[in-house]
Amino acid sequence: MFNILKRILPLMLLLATSLSGYAQQYVLKGTVRGADNKPVESAAVQIDGQPIFASEQGLFRRDKIEKSTVQVRVEQIGYDPYSREVTLHPGENTLDIRLVQRQKNIEQVEVTGLTKVQEINRQAFTVSAIDATKLHNTTLSLSDALDRVSGVRVRETGGLGSSMNLSLNGFSGNHVRFFIDGIPMDNMGSTFQINNMPVNLAERIEVYKGVVPIWLGSDALGGAINIVTGNKARNYVDVSYSYGSFNTHRTVINAATTTKKGLTFQLSAYQNYSDNNYKVHLEAHNNRPEGYSKPAEVERFHDTYHNETVIASLGVVDKPYADRLLLGINLGKSYKEIQTGARMESVFGAWHRRGNLVMPSLKYSKNDLIKGLDVVLNANLNLGSERNIDTVNRRYDWFGDTGARLPETSGERGAQSMYKYRNNEALVTANFNYSIGEKQTITVNNVFNNFDRKGEDPLNPLNNEYELAKTTRKNVLGLGYQYQVSDLWSISVFGKYIVQNNLNGDDASSSAKKLGWGTAGTYFVSDALQLKGSYELTNRMATPYEMFGDVENQSANPGLRPETSNNFNVGINYNFSAGQGHEFDLTAGAIYRYAKDFIYQRLEANQGRYVADNRDGVRTFGGDIELRYHYGRWLSAGTSWTYQYLQNMQEFDEGFTNVSPVYKDQMPNIPYFFGNSDVQVRFDDFSGKGNALSVGYNLQYVHEFYLYWPSQGLIDKKNIPGQLSHDINALFSVADGRYNIGLEARNITNQRLYDNFSMERPGRAFYLNLRYYLNKK
Amino acid sequence: MNIRKLLLSAAVVVSLTACDKNSDGDAGTNPVNKGNFILTVTPTAATDVADYLLTTGSLEEGSITTQGNGVEQDGTYRYYVTHNNKFFSMLYGQGNPGAVTVYDIQDGSLNKLANTVTETVQAFAPVNDDILMMKISRNITDPTSTWYRFNTNSLTIAGQGNVNTAELADNGELAFYSWLTQVGNKVYAPFFSIKACCEAGFGTDYPDQAWVAVYNYPDMTLEKVIHDDRTSFIGRYFTDGLSVTENGDVYAYSSAIATSDGAQDFNTTKPSSVTRINAGTTEFDQSFLINFEELSGGLNITDWLYLGNNKFVVFSNTEAEKNLFSTGNIVGILDVTTQSYTKVSGMPELKDIKAITQNNYTPADGNTGYIGVNLTTGVNYVYKIDANAATATRGLKIEGGTLTAIEHLD
Repeated sequence: MFNILKRILPLMLLLATSLSGYAQQYVLKGTVRGADNKPVESAAVQIDGQPIFASEQGLFRRDKIEKSTVQVRVEQIGYDPYSREVTLHPGENTLDIRLVQRQKNIEQVEVTGLTKVQEINRQAFTVSAIDATKLHNTTLSLSDALDRVSGVRVRETGGLGSSMNLSLNGFSGNHVRFFIDGIPMDNMGSTFQINNMPVNLAERIEVYKGVVPIWLGSDALGGAINIVTGNKARNYVDVSYSYGSFNTHRTVINAATTTKKGLTFQLSAYQNYSDNNYKVHLEAHNNRPEGYSKPAEVERFHDTYHNETVIASLGVVDKPYADRLLLGINLGKSYKEIQTGARMESVFGAWHRRGNLVMPSLKYSKNDLIKGLDVVLNANLNLGSERNIDTVNRRYDWFGDTGARLPETSGERGAQSMYKYRNNEALVTANFNYSIGEKQTITVNNVFNNFDRKGEDPLNPLNNEYELAKTTRKNVLGLGYQYQVSDLWSISVFGKYIVQNNLNGDDASSSAKKLGWGTAGTYFVSDALQLKGSYELTNRMATPYEMFGDVENQSANPGLRPETSNNFNVGINYNFSAGQGHEFDLTAGAIYRYAKDFIYQRLEANQGRYVADNRDGVRTFGGDIELRYHYGRWLSAGTSWTYQYLQNMQEFDEGFTNVSPVYKDQMPNIPYFFGNSDVQVRFDDFSGKGNALSVGYNLQYVHEFYLYWPSQGLIDKKNIPGQLSHDINALFSVADGRYNIGLEARNITNQRLYDNFSMERPGRAFYLNLRYYLNKK
Repeated sequence: MNIRKLLLSAAVVVSLTACDKNSDGDAGTNPVNKGNFILTVTPTAATDVADYLLTTGSLEEGSITTQGNGVEQDGTYRYYVTHNNKFFSMLYGQGNPGAVTVYDIQDGSLNKLANTVTETVQAFAPVNDDILMMKISRNITDPTSTWYRFNTNSLTIAGQGNVNTAELADNGELAFYSWLTQVGNKVYAPFFSIKACCEAGFGTDYPDQAWVAVYNYPDMTLEKVIHDDRTSFIGRYFTDGLSVTENGDVYAYSSAIATSDGAQDFNTTKPSSVTRINAGTTEFDQSFLINFEELSGGLNITDWLYLGNNKFVVFSNTEAEKNLFSTGNIVGILDVTTQSYTKVSGMPELKDIKAITQNNYTPADGNTGYIGVNLTTGVNYVYKIDANAATATRGLKIEGGTLTAIEHLD
């Protein structure tokens, strides 16, 4: 991408020079160079405190400087700080910055500038950041990308659009919170979820394991994932289309245009479609002797999924009153056919769901509103609705309509339903960062959530359950303090105060208040070796879904208590070189968690529906390790492995006085050992200058795990078998990445993959991806 | 690239060693506990639980556990029935189709014969070579209940049909079958009347009557509905209220648990009672009525087990503990010939009993029954009932969970 910048730069310069005399403004550009006069990649150049990042070639440029004297500072790992006052003359000024390599370590490490991803990884928190831009030529969704992070396991019930559950160090479901650009995604509806969002939407994905920084204001129990869409370039077009197995089509369009005056329009649109008609294996059954008498392979026939989403925003950038002020709207809809219930035996042929998203939003940010104070404000309101449609009174099996009729007013799953609801969720977030000098920062963060469900079912208009008030108001207030000695050590402490008030109908109202706190520290033993430690006493409130149910499969439990966890993390990061360009990066971490009043899903007494409930305790020990290797730009490889042991700490089962037979047993149905490895080889200037070919391989392994309690039973244990899958990909890009052709083969050995018991995932699949990317001024 | 090779082989080695370990935990047979009795156990843990099937040769002694033992069933909330010398493990499927696994016993161990799928139903009973199953509506706007004949030879649904339960009740409410029982070549289906609407789903305005629908088999045409206004309805939800004796007489009990609201507002004025339909007739014998509340000193019947020779093990509750669903912990012997009731001795103290198993076993010798007694400790026992002596004797100990059924196959 930076190559494009290089090409366009002369054009930019030309434009800038022709315009520069226009107003009393100054332009400062130049190059940051380090040892041997080599450019320093991605150095942060501060011009009067406003940072801009230099390009891969060390080039930087700032337009529209309104003062004739500015302070230029560069702080770069491995170099002595650079600071100089520069007097500008009208028009363009050139400043070549020479950084002096810091004396220590000079012989050990060849230090290059940090990318934003590396910078995130150097925080005190246990965090893994993924550079999503490297995946932009693939057909991965965000959840596929997350699945490659150590400690993360994404479980899906089927193909594209199927319901998914992400587990992070053993915590899953609502214990892990998702954010997009720091804004909680808690309930953006089924249309806007990480398993249907293309990876191209993100510039970076940050995975906070356990302890969550204060500026991600939310009540996560076991970690958080922040998807950073970034500002990217100011003017660009990025279009990709892919087609592949199971009639899967995906299109992504990202574009932005920004005028000289700072008026900006940004558009992201994407579409996914798949028949998901992959083959599944059936055990012999007796119901349809012609089909079930032998084990069989059949295609899924009622599993079509599609969604379409447009995210548009209009606003201004780089104004004195705002770095960014955007009014936006997210519009989307989704359609999902439901092929099975929780087990392959339950087959449906007509039941489906629809969802739509109408979400206006406001985003504001300004750094140095007063000196040292950075402000971010966000607000949005989700007016979208979800609808469950089950109106066909027939019984299906894997061979289609069985001919069996259910009662006249029955659906496939009970009484006919067209229940439709809106949750009217509103969200307001505010973040204030105040820097006192260079070492101290105070952060105040507040997140307010409002939930007010209204629903109706034209087929069951009398069901008064739909009429009851279901409202929740939640406020999370956080305060944090950080002291940092750059590149040596930092420590932060923070507290969070959460208040939630709920109203369920006229009779059940509840409220809860919880105070939590945490601390995170890091120490750089050397530039190459970083130690991290963090602790948080964290609280999570029950979500509206857990409290009010979904009026379908989830029953209400307004009496749920907030859950609490003690999270400890330690980590180490070590970079080393084996000489001659062989670079290694080793990251390892260990975790301990003890969660009390743990909220989990259980079946109701009559097993008709699920209900959320509190359980006494769950304890987790775990560790993960990741090793990455690269040799220049030519070769990169990595492997990451995770082990986690979750233990049931509920000593007494409810209603019984003896110690539970499964006390201290390993928690079932949670993958506990898994990992992946990848190798990527890149050939620059392949068949022509500016062209590149890269070929990659990815392996994923999940060790066999238990569906039910490991200690119980012997025969026919319903274990989920160990799985090993291999993906390969090839990418050819032309004209410095403007045109890209990608080919992917997933699960090339066609292994039977299961994430949940007996629920098969797709076998071997092929995808072709075409992408056009243009970035210009 | 040596380093690359090294990395790859390291990854492969880790993967392979990981594969080798611990992948054969599900193989093998059960050498410890063999026999022709099948015990079904639901763990006490509230989450991620599966039922376990245990086999044993004796109900009278020893101990058995689900710890590292038993055949794991997919999910809990299962119903078990034996018929045609096969054991059926049926998943109550929450409105989904219900998966069924069929077993027989070979050399004292369970042997899986087939997987199949039926409907989720609220009543089922062996009739001829079939298991007759009924999916019963509880929604006044949808008064259709559906029956299925599941053939235990072919293991397929051999026939199905609908019943309009609003027409059957004929009182503005819905009829809800408490259970199905084969009597001669007919099916007797006692039912209760429910409002089937809104908050009072299982409540009724007709609390003081008993009904039994009589169906021809296999076409399930309605022959007649037998009424009785001396008692409240027969049986209870998911519970068989009829027993056929050796001479063909049909005895029925009423728990007297009709309510106005489907919860605790009992509105029947009738006592818990036992009535009779004489062999060869399709009417209640108006000359036969046991007022069980009077006979037992205030108890109400919640379930019973027919031992033969006109003797029943009766599970009952006090008036104060009367409720719609759970089986009573008070165990006694009812002799319908002498119309006498005796509590058995030798049972654990009532406060220590968590629940009595609903699905118990009798060799039908007129004297012996084996009942599951689940204690609040979580440790459970089979008690052997001797009807003549009116005693209960502690037998096999079960650890790991609640005993939900005792079945036997030849």
